[in-house]
This record gives sequence, C-alpha cells and structure tokens, in this order.
Amino acid sequence: MSVFRSSECVFCLFSRSSRPAAASRRQFHATRVHQKRKPRFPSVKAANTEVNLSQATQDYRSAKNGTIPQHYSAEQRAAIEAAQKLIDAENLEKQTGLRTDPWKMKYYDDLTKIDPVVDKPVRAPWTTIDDNSRLKTEDELEDDLVNFMQRIPQPKHENDFDPTLWDKFDKNLRLTVGREEAERKPRTALAPELPNISDTPPPKKTTKGNEVVVEEPPSPALVRLMQMTGYDRRQISQLRVKTIIQHRVTNQTRLGKIHRAYVLSVAGNQNGLIGIGEGKAVEAGDAVLQSQYRAIRAMTPILRYEDRTIFGEVRGKVSATELELYSRPPGFGLRCQKYIWEICQCAGIKDLAARVTRARNPMNTVKAAVEALISQKDPEEIARARGKKLVDVRKVYYAGQT
Amino acid sequence: MSLVHLANTCSHLQNASRARLGLTSVPDTKFHLRLMLALQNSGFISTVVRGGPTPPPPHSLLTHPTSTDPTAPIEPVTQRNISTRRLWLGLKYWNSSPVLEKMSLISKPTRRIWMDVTGLKQLVLGKDAGYVKGLRKPGECIYVSTDRGILEARECVERKMGGMLICRVG
Repeated sequence: MSVFRSSECVFCLFSRSSRPAAASRRQFHATRVHQKRKPRFPSVKAANTEVNLSQATQDYRSAKNGTIPQHYSAEQRAAIEAAQKLIDAENLEKQTGLRTDPWKMKYYDDLTKIDPVVDKPVRAPWTTIDDNSRLKTEDELEDDLVNFMQRIPQPKHENDFDPTLWDKFDKNLRLTVGREEAERKPRTALAPELPNISDTPPPKKTTKGNEVVVEEPPSPALVRLMQMTGYDRRQISQLRVKTIIQHRVTNQTRLGKIHRAYVLSVAGNQNGLIGIGEGKAVEAGDAVLQSQYRAIRAMTPILRYEDRTIFGEVRGKVSATELELYSRPPGFGLRCQKYIWEICQCAGIKDLAARVTRARNPMNTVKAAVEALISQKDPEEIARARGKKLVDVRKVYYAGQT
Repeated sequence: MSLVHLANTCSHLQNASRARLGLTSVPDTKFHLRLMLALQNSGFISTVVRGGPTPPPPHSLLTHPTSTDPTAPIEPVTQRNISTRRLWLGLKYWNSSPVLEKMSLISKPTRRIWMDVTGLKQLVLGKDAGYVKGLRKPGECIYVSTDRGILEARECVERKMGGMLICRVG
C-alpha cells in the first residue's frame, strides 16, 4: 500500500467550494486512505499529570484565608489579618507560582546563600567605595614625609641608612584621604579567582644534580587544555594517556591523494575517569598530541563496584560493533581484547570480562566499550526510583572488610 | 491466560515509557491485573486502577488516580460493562528516564517455560538455567506464575516455589 495519498478526482475540486476532509473525495482505487491513526484508549502524557497549584489552593481555602493558628500572639494575628486584607489572593497566587518563561531556572534553589561551587565568586563589596575620598594635597604628602623623617633613628656614621625603612614607607604611603579599603582593595570587575593569563611567567629553573634544567613554557595547546580542564601541568603528566590506534587515511581528490595521520587515544586517571579522543593531522606527531589532549578533555567519571569492576552486565553498540562487558570477582583480572584492556587500565578497572559479539572494528570497539562503561546504572539510583531500600550484603557479611 | 495479549502489553508498556506517558491502559484480565499488581509491588508502576475507556480522574493531591479515591469510586464490574473495562497504569520516571525501561516475554505463546526452585536459584544468582538467561543486569526482575499467584523470582526462591516464567522486566 502506498504511503502517499492516492490520486484523487480533480473535478471534485470544482464541485465543492470547501474541502471538509480528504477522505470525502472520490478515490480512484479501492485502498482505503487512512486518516492519522488515533489510539482507541487515549493515554495521558506524564507532563500533564503534575499537580495543579491553583486548583489545590481553591480546594484548600483554609490555607489561604482560613483560621490563624492559636499559637500566634494577638498582635501577630492582627498583623496577619491586616496583611491578608492588603494582599490580593489572586495576585499572590499569580506571583508565587512556578515560573514558566524561557529564562526560568532548570533547578530549585532558594538563592539566599552563595554556593562556592555553583555561584559566581563573591567580589569585593560595594561598601569599600568611599564617596568622600580624594587625592592628598601636596601639603598632606609633605606632612607624611616629615613624619617619616622624624621617625628615622639618628645616623651613627655617614652611610648609616636602612633602605628597607624607605621601602616600607613607600609601600604604606597612602595617596588618598578617606577609607583605607577604598584605596587598598578597590572594587574590580574581574572575578577574584580568575588567573592572569596575559602574563607569561619566566621559565622555571630546577636543579637536577649539578646541572640547571630550564623548564620550557607550555605550548599554547597545553595552556588551553589546562584552562579547560583546570588541571595543572603535573596533574596532566600523571594521567595515563595511551595512543591505541594509529593509521594513515587518504582523501582522493582530482589532484591526487592527500594523506593524513589518524590517531585515537584513551586518557584516564586510573581512578574512575575515562575519555577518548580522535586526532587527524598531516604530521603524525600533531595528530597524537591533538587526540591525547582531546581525550583528556573528554574525561568523564564512570561507576565502579568496589573500585575494581563494573556493576553487572552492560552492553555497548556503535555501528555494527556490539559488545558486552561482564563484572567479575576479585582477582579475576582483565580477560578481554587489547583495546578494552587499555581502556580498563586507564579507568582503573581490575576485574572484567568482555565479549565483542559482532563486528570487531578497532575504532568502534573502543567507542562502544567507553559508551558501555558510561551507560552503567547506579543500583542505588534504581532502588530509589522504585522506592526500595538497597543494602550491599557483601559489606554486611564481611563487616566491610572485603 | 493468553500470552499473546501479554506480549502486546509488554511492548505497549515499553512504548508508553519511551513516549513519556503518565497514564496508559491495558486490557483488563485477571492475569494482567495480578501481573500489574506484582509490578506495582516492585515499584515499576505507581498505580493500577480499573476503569472504562477514558482515563480515570487523578486524585486531588496525588499526580495519579488511585483505586481508593472517595471522589472517584471504582465502578463495579457487571455483565453490561465488562467488555469496556481497562486497567489504567501510572508509569514512573526518575531523573528524566523511565523506571520501567524494558519488558519482554520469557515464555512464548508457542513455548511455555516452567522452572523449579533449583533453576530459579541459578537465575537469581545470575547464572543461566536452561535457555533462560540469568538476572545479571542491576535491578532486573523475572516474574513467575505460581499456584500462589504471580511472584518475583527472588520471592519464589525465598518461598521455595517453582512455576511458569512469564516476563523479564528491567
């Protein structure tokens, strides 16, 4: 049966001014034209089943204007009654509902406290600003200098002058009159934790035995990686990064073949973080660096049972490659093919078995394995979703000494 | 006890979960009702209410209808209305993913599978028994039809009862 609408009698168009429905026109063949199928028993969308707040307030009027609890004092009750008179109930209901505009927040927060993780860092407060502060006049500066000169101890000989005294004076000298914070710690538009990127730090010198080794400044790509991930150079060097697939790819153009190097790398901290990255460049070295940095950038946390194996059995599928990863008891080791072995080493998984059931394309195997590891479900979350309580009996039996 | 209807129900619940439906209906039979109550007991669905062809009204405080709601009493089944009765099920979602993700038959209409306690024990431990795969995914459940009603496989092992394996839910 054709999915398109069947051809219809054109002359029927003229006989009727308006078209009530497509089916009412004469058909040229016997196949029935289906209208959009509707289920016989209409279901309800989950989004439509949320609690209707306005309906609830109508139903429970006692919450809105009912009796005021007796434990309030007489003045408090009077104040509440006065407020209830002033505030229009409809208006209140309109204003206190959940926001529906596109700029509404995607999470619940009372916004009264500053969370150091989520919120922007606190800047110097506006209160440091002093409206009455002004620059010191020349006389006042002179007075400061005179005061300083008087506090200098009497010199014992000709060259007896401590330059640190002058440095201290120079440092502490104030140029304005008014609140001290306004000059010393003025309000700035910059966030306080923002690193100063523009300054290029001088190359660090470290002594290695007798010879002095000058540490090279990081390359721009490494600097970007450090800014993106928040890791410093030492932390990045401690990650386990492996290049596991490397081959040449060719683009056939009318002018000839253009060869490039393709590299796929895995990165992990051997403690539950794993990421893969692909790189392609004319030079193999560039491709390796590109893929490794991308892998570090793409690192995501995975679930591990007892920090050694996975939770149950997981499947992964990328294109025609399908694989299954199985959790195994302690001491089992990694019994799987080399690509999955490398991924597990980077992620810090010690006991695992794997089976690649369909195509064994190396690139897709790596991607499917990482996808499977990420797709694990936390049993605690599953239990909470079902309203159950979960206890790991393994920990109960051996008193946590597994 | 038609497994054909149950197969339709399994795929319907899977589809309804993926379509993020809150309330959907399946045919009302005694077998369906017992299985759905077992699912509700395990926490896969929020409510089971017998109703007509249109969805029953939600409880004034809860987000789903309940069978004990005094404002919307259940219509008793009579010979006149029995053909129009449906079981209305409330589907659950957690962290924007459905609680009931996969539901498939183990016994098929053409090949029913019975299992005794020893076999069920193997399944519950995550080992294969016969042609049936063990419960190796976290949170997976198998429902067994026994002479004491429809029970979860783990409960069957607890009570030392065997029966016909119906479906696998995860």
